Amino acid sequence: MLLEQLSGNLIQGVVLGAVYGMATMGLSLIFGVLKVVNVGHGAFVMVGAFVTLFFFSSLGLNPFIAIPAAFLVGILLGLAFYYAAIKKLLNAPELATLLATFSAGVLLEETVKMIFGSEYRGFNWDVGKVDLIVTALPMSKIFAALGSVAIALLLYVWFKRTRAGSAMRSVVEDSHGARVCGVNVDGVYAMSFALGIGLTVASGVLLTMFIPVGINPYMGGGYTLKAFVIAVLGGLSSPYGAFFGGLVFGLIENTSYTLFAFIPGVEPFSLTRFLSFLILLIILLIRPTGIIKAK
Amino acid sequence: MKNRLSPYYPLLPVFVAYFALFLVGRNVEGTWQLVATLLFYCALGQAFNIFLGMTGYVDFGYVAFLGVGTYGMAIAITGLANFPQLGLGIVAIGFVLAIIMATLLSTAVGAVALRLRGAYFAIATIGVNEGFRFLIEGANLWNGSSGMIFTAQLNEILGRDLASRVMTLWADILVLFIGALAAVVTLLYMKSKIGYALTALREDEDAAKVMGINVTKYKITAFITSASFAGTVGAAAWALKTPYVFPPEVFEIHYTIEAIIIVMLGGAGTLLGPLVGALIYGVSKYYLSIFLPGVQLFIFALVIIFVIVTFPEGVVGVIKRKTRNTAIGQYII
Repeated sequence: MLLEQLSGNLIQGVVLGAVYGMATMGLSLIFGVLKVVNVGHGAFVMVGAFVTLFFFSSLGLNPFIAIPAAFLVGILLGLAFYYAAIKKLLNAPELATLLATFSAGVLLEETVKMIFGSEYRGFNWDVGKVDLIVTALPMSKIFAALGSVAIALLLYVWFKRTRAGSAMRSVVEDSHGARVCGVNVDGVYAMSFALGIGLTVASGVLLTMFIPVGINPYMGGGYTLKAFVIAVLGGLSSPYGAFFGGLVFGLIENTSYTLFAFIPGVEPFSLTRFLSFLILLIILLIRPTGIIKAK
Repeated sequence: MKNRLSPYYPLLPVFVAYFALFLVGRNVEGTWQLVATLLFYCALGQAFNIFLGMTGYVDFGYVAFLGVGTYGMAIAITGLANFPQLGLGIVAIGFVLAIIMATLLSTAVGAVALRLRGAYFAIATIGVNEGFRFLIEGANLWNGSSGMIFTAQLNEILGRDLASRVMTLWADILVLFIGALAAVVTLLYMKSKIGYALTALREDEDAAKVMGINVTKYKITAFITSASFAGTVGAAAWALKTPYVFPPEVFEIHYTIEAIIIVMLGGAGTLLGPLVGALIYGVSKYYLSIFLPGVQLFIFALVIIFVIVTFPEGVVGVIKRKTRNTAIGQYII
């Protein structure tokens, strides 16, 4: 009984974890290249969720068409924010970019609230279920996980095979060295920031498959916390580390939820969210450079 | 002419401002609620500034300390409800408990996170308020998600008249004193070894370490001081003023946002900054909520980005720079 439930949750955890991983790659990319922590991360995820909502509920389109649209929205938001603020703050104390990204998150939340209101919304994309004996998985979630893996692979190819990708990798290694070798470091910064935000907003589309009625301007806060746990698991500056961190975190979350449910008198949902915070502190205490080493 | 007291001149405008606020609130009909809100913002900013201003580190989970402070007062009042002979002593016990709880939480978080650099510290703190809220709700601590309501207990211990005066007047005056005390402590820190050590750390943490400064020790001192003040603000402005506590309300990230706005707008690391920031923020929020309800955070998010990009030293920072070496200059730091 417990074993069956656990193995069912393991599968659910991997599926959710793949999406979590993809949702954190943008955060790690931005930190890796610019050394900027995007504290407003969750708000960008929220924007992606609203893009999906708009495509599905207002236009009646398949949520997957919303992925490129959300990506584009993210690229534009990222470029606008980079040139309006981040570019001028790269040499300022860390405090400046932390507060600027935090404020950008608040700004997005308030903007979306003014346009869509603050009530909870959602949609249900019903494309059938798969029965896996121990658990039943909606196809929409499987599509979301496959989409995440596909995007992660695309990013991998982009990094390895394109000039822009190798320019980014060189800046991660050594930005001074890259500049000396003729890499347009400022261009790489702008591109990485835009790409990171694009990925984050696009991940919002995939995450909506897991929250049937949870779309709200303030939904991002929880994702910011989760994304930091995941990013730190993966070493903070590596997008692939983040992807595997996501898988691990998805498993931890689902397993702990199942186990907490056996303890009488506690609320497993809340305790699971406390646990993610505790994991964050523990990793920072024992190995701030990350548990998972991904090249 | 220099004298022994001249380092303390900058406290003068702070005290004058608090006194003026108090006079306006007591004497102008219908302004006490606004003044009380302003006093809360002043104290919040003043307490937040001790850490953010002096170290240049941001604590995104700051509201958690107000939250546990509120719980400290709540636990004292509900736990000792059977001892009416304590009278106002209960409030003192509540404050002590609030400080102890805020100190414990900040020591735990600080011990882990303050060994790390700014970015990692910010990441560690972003979940403190949520984490603690979900611990209380999840493990059913102190009534879990149903919260605590202790108006009846407060009435029982203090008597109905005194209790209502505490709620409507004395809680706000306590907040005023907490804000003023936080300002005094800020100045004392600035003028002592810890202030110089933290200035060195803010400018260049590696250089400070090489010079033999125990940066972690001073960071933790500032962090715990700032957190204890936050605990007392929560105990006075939330638990005593409105005798109930619900986890989602006292761990609401909104208040951290407000603290950041107040300190950055006024000038991080200055003595007068939080006060000026609180007055600008509080008054404009008040009028915005009348004329353009629901947009104040939108506007202030824009304002903060603008401040960070164009004048990160804040309003008081700019005034300080302009008035250096003038007669007014010695009152503004």
